[in-house]
Amino acid sequence: MAVYRRGYQRYEGALTNHFGRMMVIPRYSWERILSQRFVTILLVVSLFWPVLCAGFVYLANHTELWQGLGGGLKRFLAINGRFFAVFMNVQSTFALIMAAVAGPGLIAPDLVNNALPLYFSRPMTRQDYILSRLIVLLGILSLVTIVPGMLLFGMQVGIAGFDWFIQNWYLGAAIFFGFLLYIGVVSLVALTSSAYVKWRVVAGALVLAFFFLLTGAAEMVNHVFRVDWASALNPAYALNTVWAGMLDIDIPDDKPGVMECATFLLAISGGLLAALARKLRPVEVVR
Amino acid sequence: MIVFDNVSKFYGDVLGVNRVDLHIPPGITSLVGPNGSGKTTLMNLMTGLVYPNSGVIQVRGISPFAPEKLMKILGYATQYDAGPRGATGFDFVYTGLLLHGFTKAEAQRRAWASIERVGLTGAAKRKVAGYSKGMRQRIRLAQAIAHDPEVLILDEPLNGLDPLVRAETIALFRDYGASGRHVVLSSHVLQEVDVFSDQVILIANGMIVAEGQIRSVREEIHEHPSQFLLHCRNASRVASMLFEEEHIAEVKMAPEGQGLLVLTKNREAFSMALERIALSGTDIDGVMPTDENVDALYEYLIGGGR
Amino acid sequence: MTPWQQIWTIARLELGRVFFSKRSFWVYLLAIFPSVIFTGHAIDATLKARQWSGRGEKITAEVMNKLQTGMTDQEVLRLAGKPVTDFERTRRPRRREEDPDAEKQPEVRRYMMYFDGKRRVDLRFEDGKLVGRNTRDLLNFEEDRKVYAGMFQFFYLRLGVFFGCLGIFINLFRGEMLDRSLHFWFLAPVKREVLLLGKYCAGLIAASLIFGGGALLSFLAMALPQDPAELQTFWQTNGVEHAVWYVAAAMLGCVGYGSVFLAAGLLLKNPIAPAIVMLLWESMNGFLPDVMQKLSVLHYLQSICPVPVPLPSDMPTVMKMLLAPAAPSSAAVAVGGLLGVTALVLFAATQAVRRLEINYSTEA
Repeated sequence: MAVYRRGYQRYEGALTNHFGRMMVIPRYSWERILSQRFVTILLVVSLFWPVLCAGFVYLANHTELWQGLGGGLKRFLAINGRFFAVFMNVQSTFALIMAAVAGPGLIAPDLVNNALPLYFSRPMTRQDYILSRLIVLLGILSLVTIVPGMLLFGMQVGIAGFDWFIQNWYLGAAIFFGFLLYIGVVSLVALTSSAYVKWRVVAGALVLAFFFLLTGAAEMVNHVFRVDWASALNPAYALNTVWAGMLDIDIPDDKPGVMECATFLLAISGGLLAALARKLRPVEVVR
Repeated sequence: MIVFDNVSKFYGDVLGVNRVDLHIPPGITSLVGPNGSGKTTLMNLMTGLVYPNSGVIQVRGISPFAPEKLMKILGYATQYDAGPRGATGFDFVYTGLLLHGFTKAEAQRRAWASIERVGLTGAAKRKVAGYSKGMRQRIRLAQAIAHDPEVLILDEPLNGLDPLVRAETIALFRDYGASGRHVVLSSHVLQEVDVFSDQVILIANGMIVAEGQIRSVREEIHEHPSQFLLHCRNASRVASMLFEEEHIAEVKMAPEGQGLLVLTKNREAFSMALERIALSGTDIDGVMPTDENVDALYEYLIGGGR
Repeated sequence: MTPWQQIWTIARLELGRVFFSKRSFWVYLLAIFPSVIFTGHAIDATLKARQWSGRGEKITAEVMNKLQTGMTDQEVLRLAGKPVTDFERTRRPRRREEDPDAEKQPEVRRYMMYFDGKRRVDLRFEDGKLVGRNTRDLLNFEEDRKVYAGMFQFFYLRLGVFFGCLGIFINLFRGEMLDRSLHFWFLAPVKREVLLLGKYCAGLIAASLIFGGGALLSFLAMALPQDPAELQTFWQTNGVEHAVWYVAAAMLGCVGYGSVFLAAGLLLKNPIAPAIVMLLWESMNGFLPDVMQKLSVLHYLQSICPVPVPLPSDMPTVMKMLLAPAAPSSAAVAVGGLLGVTALVLFAATQAVRRLEINYSTEA
């Protein structure tokens, strides 16, 4: 019988924790995405509107600058839910374009180059992989949504004072959680399209088409059936309605309400997650 | 003849091949060179998959700009791994034959024949996407030979083949070469190329560095020291005698005590020196050149010489 | 083998891939969606009519017209009887900017619905007073034809046929580059121009059948459930003509968009950007001079659509210009012009395909 000398010694030094390992993917992805020229341009352009809004906040809080002007202007210059709803609407458009640019490059190249086995042969689960990709988009999209939104809210609190904050804290929460919901939905759309369409450019177009086509389809259902409920199937409308609920502003009476829209968004997110998990397998089976 | 007349090809700023002049006769011709040297570019130029920036190419008198004529006499097994989406091995070969204008019955007959020739009959109805690397290699070969072409171009055709299939494939090349057809192939398996090639074209950095039969190419490189293995019983004595000769660059003991490995700058002077040593009463059992194969040639011409 | 035979062989080989590939699935969805919606509408109308007739009072059209805003809920109940649906909804009070500390009273709203056998009227009461009234037909052929016209031009042509052709025709060359399988076609003994035409024919046949069939199916799904007498009159007057023109518009859309996307797939590595530009061009061509309008596929398609799209009267003029063709061409000019533009684009594509090289490493 051959007796071999045991020369192998497993590594017994310190290992990074689970979350730390997972963050390796976002670290490199952020670096790659932020090095793209188009992303830089988009980031710069997307800050114009927050800067304008900041000017608006300053103006609204310095009544001495527009004293004597009509009540209509006073109402126009109010910093309330409606103001933040408009801010969120504009910023969400930039976030959508950003997702269409940054999202498709996250999974498609791994599938094209059959790189998934490389990830899954490390101590990393499919859930970790999806989560790490979502974190990539969360980080990037936050730069154009949550970060300027919270800065704007912070500026208003700073100028208007603690009393204003006590009465309107829910606006800050709405900006944070509203954008978080938006980022979640948009990121899932971007990742799913990236997982199913290996052509990066088409995957990007699909992210935009998802919103346009569903809007068109929802409108068609409304017109053909002479109903209003199909608006809930329009992701843009659904998100706006949920935001309106969070920001405590009026929602059209005859259109679907916050609960219906939130349910649709949850359902669509669940569907997208399931589709993602189905596609991301370490081995491709060809029958 | 396959003729390249002052052909250059650039991919933007990147050089593909530069000022290539070649006359490839019928028989088996191997293109040898390191990765990125321009072998595939030469093949793609011959088949019209890429166009030259300058120069003229003719394949048996036909320009690659006329695919409707060229592809009738040419079969090309590319290195691209993918087949048409969703196609089975049989579909892959059969549809190619339909495009050649064969009737359905004839296309089927030819498809099965060529698939059988590469030993894939059992897997013919499976999707190409599910094939192993070797099977994909073989189905590409089947597709290239299915219409019985005069010119067969094969990019790395022996990659991924098991020894048995490799031997059968080489036999097929020999058949083709022996019947007066062109077989042009590229390979990194240098020993095999050495064995069955009629001629070798060595290419590096997009330029042809040598072409012709291996032995004749070797003989033309006078300035390169030649290496010989001397089988002798008294190796230390022979070594000391050789060191006295001016043309000897290096003498070292051969591995496993086979004798001496001698590097000489002058083959004729070396042969005369051996004669003198033998006449002096020192036994020399045998002399064998050790660098007259493609590996050695490759090492010298492409690896920068010694 | 003649070039025509080669074209047909290539088209036949490619057709199976276009029709049965998984990638085409969403194209079918786009084409079938309107039919599904109109079929659903017909089923829904039938079920609702049955369901509502058995619930509440079936009022006459005359009574329905008498229900006017300003009436109290009790007056309405006295006049029209028991409604089909009747419910209340309490709305959460909003914070008011002008007086945030004011006591917030929940708002209670009442909703009723009556049905006269063909139409429904939705009533909204606030503080017991009728403040909102909305009458809708369950099935109204004339209205449905207008809805169909709008759906056809806004959804089917602008989005369905456009994106469908984008998917089908760009795949023919650029998709094969991405799959690294285009060399397979280039190694066939056919001229590149013949290959291009063969692939175009395959895309065209597939797209025309899918979208022409989808147009016909949705038209039938819209028309067939209507009142039989109205339907008979429609078929006897211009029904067939309408159906034919809708199908023709969808098919011609495939001819025009197909050639453009085929050429885009050959000429550009990233054909999505020009596709978006084209979508914008097609949408804004109402602003352009007549000559430039004629360089848009949509202009010709809208010109041959049998029913003009009804635009809401309150729509801004700018939007109206965006959505309606300013100077419709005659059918002959429209078809001829479209075919002319297509021939021009295909000629450019043949020039491009001759120069096309296999260089998969640059695809991404």
